Amino acid sequence: MRAFEPAGDGAVSALFEPVEAALLAQLASQVAGLLAEQRGGAAADLAILRLLPDAYPDDPAASAEFRRFTADELTEKKLRNARILIADCAGAADADGPSTIRLDAASIGAWLRSLTDVRLVLATRLGITEDGGLRPDDDDEESLMLTDVYDWLGFVQDCLVSALED
Amino acid sequence: MTLTSESVDTSAQAALDSPWVTIVWNDPVNLMSYVAWVFRSYFGFDREEAEIRMLRVHNDGRAVVATGSREEMERHVEAMHDFGLWATLTKADA
Repeated sequence: MRAFEPAGDGAVSALFEPVEAALLAQLASQVAGLLAEQRGGAAADLAILRLLPDAYPDDPAASAEFRRFTADELTEKKLRNARILIADCAGAADADGPSTIRLDAASIGAWLRSLTDVRLVLATRLGITEDGGLRPDDDDEESLMLTDVYDWLGFVQDCLVSALED
Repeated sequence: MTLTSESVDTSAQAALDSPWVTIVWNDPVNLMSYVAWVFRSYFGFDREEAEIRMLRVHNDGRAVVATGSREEMERHVEAMHDFGLWATLTKADA
């Protein structure tokens, strides 16, 4: 992709290769699936626990109550953000060559949050628990590829934040 | 000096109003640029203040980003989770 640039009226835009747009949509879709599956549940998946963390570090009962009151709405918001990202990527994913994706204010908010959610889930899967990285024994091909994707997503998000600074 | 019922009520009230804080914790995923942006955008910190708090999160492992009632702090925690940051709330004097 070419970095995000301001595109007037508070919007930003960037050029995406079809494979990049398709990948973003696929990842957001996977995270959406994960979120949809756990609705009403007790956050058993480590990735979900990171997307919907405990609010009271030393009080499991208060955390459980907070979760009961907020998890559903937060989940719906995250699902909505994923849907927006997926919809925004659709045209570019199907194009014959690089094409521009333009994000208005609503999409910008959705992308920032959805990119974060995807990175959080990937990081959980990759076992990234410290600043700086990968578990040392994870040099299998899939982990290396996921790490590349994870790094690229960080680049995409950083570009988006930078475009908002202007 | 003896405790009158009035002074007992006052200290009970003070306990109820005891401020809570919202804490944002460092995590290995979130970009510093994004965290600073969230602080500016949601809390309305100016650029410098947002940078200071973000660096505090990064270097100290955590930073207080708001103080107030328990309910207000719960709303902030919810908002932080919406952004994908890791936040908790606790009593200010804990």
